[in-house]
Amino acid sequence: MTSGLDPAVLYPDERAVPTPVLRARRRLSLTRRHEARLAYALLLPALLVILGLVAYPFVSAVYLSLQNKPVGAPGRFVGLANYAELFRDEVFFQTVRNTIVYTAVGVSLKFVLGLTMALILDQERRFNNVFRMLLFVPWAVPVVIAALNWRWIFDDLSGFLNNFLITVGLTRDIISWLADPRLAMGCVIAVVVWQGTPFYTMTFLAGLQAIPRELYEAAEIDGASVVRQFVHITVPRLRTIFLTTVMLSTIWTATNLQFVLILTRGGPANRTEIFPHLAYVTALGARRLGMGAAVSLAFFPLLVILIILLTRRMLSQTDD
Amino acid sequence: MTKANMTRRQALKTAVAVGLATTGPWWLVRGSHGARAKKLVFWQLPNFTPLADQLQKEQVYEFAKSAGLKESEVEYATVSNEGFAEKLAAALEAGNPPDVARLYESNVQFYAAQGHLLDVTDLVDKMRREPKGIFDSSLTAVRYSGRAYGVPLAVNPWPVHARVDLLEQHKLDYPKTWDEFIETCMKIQSPPRLFGFGMCLGLVEDTTDNVMNLLWCYGGKMVEADNKTVVMNSPENAAGVKVIEAMFRTRKIIPQGAIGWDNSGNNKAYQSRQAAFVMNPTSIYAYLNQSDQDLQKRTGLFPVPAGPKGTVNLIDTWAFGAFKQNPYPELARGLISYFMQPANYDKIIQSTGGRWVPVYKRLFDSPFWKSKPEFKHFVSMAETGVPVSYAGSPTPAAGEVLNTHIIPKMIQRVLVDNWEPPRALEECHRRIDEVYARNRKV
Amino acid sequence: MPRTTSGTRLLFRWIGNGLLLVMLVWTLVPFYWMMATSLKADQEIYGFEATLVPHHPTLAAYVRLFQQTPFMKYVRNSTIIAVSTTAVSLVFGCLGAYALARLRFRGRRLIARGLVFTYLVPPSLLFIPLFAMMSALSLVDTHQGLILAYLGFTVPFCTWLLMGYFRSVPLELEEAALVDGCTRLGALIRVVLPMSLPALAVVAFFSFTQAWNEFLYANVFVNSVEVRTITTGLTLFIVEDVFFWGPMMGAAFLSALPPLVVYLVFQRWVVKGLTLGAVKG
Repeated sequence: MTSGLDPAVLYPDERAVPTPVLRARRRLSLTRRHEARLAYALLLPALLVILGLVAYPFVSAVYLSLQNKPVGAPGRFVGLANYAELFRDEVFFQTVRNTIVYTAVGVSLKFVLGLTMALILDQERRFNNVFRMLLFVPWAVPVVIAALNWRWIFDDLSGFLNNFLITVGLTRDIISWLADPRLAMGCVIAVVVWQGTPFYTMTFLAGLQAIPRELYEAAEIDGASVVRQFVHITVPRLRTIFLTTVMLSTIWTATNLQFVLILTRGGPANRTEIFPHLAYVTALGARRLGMGAAVSLAFFPLLVILIILLTRRMLSQTDD
Repeated sequence: MTKANMTRRQALKTAVAVGLATTGPWWLVRGSHGARAKKLVFWQLPNFTPLADQLQKEQVYEFAKSAGLKESEVEYATVSNEGFAEKLAAALEAGNPPDVARLYESNVQFYAAQGHLLDVTDLVDKMRREPKGIFDSSLTAVRYSGRAYGVPLAVNPWPVHARVDLLEQHKLDYPKTWDEFIETCMKIQSPPRLFGFGMCLGLVEDTTDNVMNLLWCYGGKMVEADNKTVVMNSPENAAGVKVIEAMFRTRKIIPQGAIGWDNSGNNKAYQSRQAAFVMNPTSIYAYLNQSDQDLQKRTGLFPVPAGPKGTVNLIDTWAFGAFKQNPYPELARGLISYFMQPANYDKIIQSTGGRWVPVYKRLFDSPFWKSKPEFKHFVSMAETGVPVSYAGSPTPAAGEVLNTHIIPKMIQRVLVDNWEPPRALEECHRRIDEVYARNRKV
Repeated sequence: MPRTTSGTRLLFRWIGNGLLLVMLVWTLVPFYWMMATSLKADQEIYGFEATLVPHHPTLAAYVRLFQQTPFMKYVRNSTIIAVSTTAVSLVFGCLGAYALARLRFRGRRLIARGLVFTYLVPPSLLFIPLFAMMSALSLVDTHQGLILAYLGFTVPFCTWLLMGYFRSVPLELEEAALVDGCTRLGALIRVVLPMSLPALAVVAFFSFTQAWNEFLYANVFVNSVEVRTITTGLTLFIVEDVFFWGPMMGAAFLSALPPLVVYLVFQRWVVKGLTLGAVKG
């Protein structure tokens, strides 16, 4: 029998340690190595997939960014020339700003809405499972279709939103949602939030459902208010899930070009230009794969820092 | 994976497997170019009507049979426009592009410059020997270094789709000049329900086409005929841009939301009867033919109004290209030849309901075209029309300018960022110059 | 939700219900718009009155969808690919997540972070080298090729999400099983997984919908109709600058139904499984 659980964590009080565990502890030094081998074995399938399918393209993308490479033609090594060209362009800095704003606001809104909805759906209610299914809809629709649909809703001349507002009398003029420099980014973020909130709602809800009711009941008896219960029971248990969801969603939001591509194409006048879209236009519009890779990678450092920061607490073994 | 106790041998095996897995793809990619079982691979872009698609498919298989191929040796893949660029890029990079595909304008030159396309000058010459021949304008679109690397399939003018019923209602004629055009629009429009001019101003290809078309009428252009000297910052261009600015800002004949339109924006505006004039290829007309005959009856197709320097009309071209990385080039050339036999070709042209305008001049004499008064300007437009890269010809540089929306961004600098036209044109000039310079070095 | 005094409880209830209603409307209006569009005649679609309820509802778009396109073939392909992707992702994810959550070994942080780093280069850049590989392995135009490509995307997030949930399963339960003579893997199967059913469901649904709705790889890696998925089929309704909204929205609406129905059905089982688990544990 192998046991890799650390008895020191489970039984901080030395006197209460049962004999089987004492026996297990004696074998601790041996079991560490077995533990490692088991871990590698369990991780092997996932790692094979990643290394085989993603590592090679990943590395080739990095190498690509150091080349001058048009589509279909051989590449020529140019070192950091692509990056130099990128940093000289004034659109680059606007793109950085836009991407940060777009990601930060989008993720924050998704988080708040997702958590609120998860808490609400965790309440007892008839037809809760139907409501959960309905809130899942944005994920059930392909992103391309959702974006096209929203583009039409926001359309200035024949869009649903304008028509609704004019019919109801809330406004007399047509509002150019996606063409107005002040509104465009907000509209894009609204669509991103619409599409991405179910991810948060569902992951948080699953976490909430795994918290035993007894904990809340015990706290209730102890006289804790709802807010205190939330802060002291719910949040600690969900912390890892919070961090994981935010981390994954941040990366996905920051690297998703579909919404900008279909809604605004970076306009009006670069107000909604974000990295992934710029990379796409460069790689496939201008057909400069090397430059496109450089644009994509230019945003990496920020994301890498974010990942390391967010995962630091998550990956430390000593807390629960 | 059951027991946790792995022996050293197992660990070693694992390490080797992982090593192979990571580096394996490298060897594989380097080694092969993907073996091909198919002898003829045709990528079909939707031809606008299901009937045209069907006919084209039949023609492919007819040709294959006549060339002695089995059905299983032919690959007929339908690829949508969305994602065509990605698919072709990936296929080229992997070393197995299709044998024949339909290419748009400067894409022919782009791939020809990299040596990917077969020289098809002889096929084009054969077409020119037909009675009345083909439109010369279609030849500029497929030429590179004096040879033809594509076979022109359709020459498409970009007429003004006009609501003739509204003109009648207000007792107005179709405007002859841009000044008249503005006046006419102001008279017949009633915003927000109806705008005069549905000019596309979003960050899409249609905008480059619409804007340049107008600038030409004011004597402006993007690049000289030598395909080297960029002249974007000319006073003529500035004059034209000022006219667009007036249309948008002071006269308000263009809907404000046009800044956010994509290529279908002006289609939608016209089809929903909210714009009286739009500049677009006959995709709108063909759509009306299918789905809104009422509006079709009220539509007229006209050349673009004249500016101080006259009228210049835009045309764009589609061509068939044959890719060189093809073990059976004769089959590819044979297929294109088969498509372009006038009888086969005419069938497809007619089945697109006016979306494709034929390359063979003779076909314009057929009842299909003669019976439609709205097409009476088309022959002259096809003869005298110029590509969007005027005064230059389609080149990889021109294609990059179009695909990266440099000119729409210039217009948006003026209309959204409130830059003075000369300043915006200066920035635009610099960027286009960079593109042309870079493409020269290659 | 914890019990509170009936006054506060009622207040929270009503706020909850109100917010839920708002959220439902906001979430469903675009979906309703999609469905309504699929039932409108072309002229009504382009009319400048964005009608909420179709004036002359018609099934013409659906007829066109089924008659002119091999829609059912697309559905079959999407199903095969999505189900396989989900199944494999779940297995790989569970195994990997357990290792990351419970075991200690050298390289743990590196591997965990490495899994996330794979997302830094988005599909919009990866697809070219990936296609080159698929081409060399003769996996183009096959279900397997697409499934493999999707695994590259779903496995990391399955692993990470499950890691988070596994860590919130109380150690004592696992410990008890181990003390009873269970192996680690047995503990995983008998204790951790039943306690994580909601998490497994979430991860399965997300993997399924990712594979079901993906466009880029499906477009690039597949040429033949025999392997084409729904999403690629949908975009064939966009011909240059003309959108055939009716059939496109009809197909999109139909395509959204399977994930939703599966979700609805599995919801019940998940909840049932969870309450059973709690009673046992």
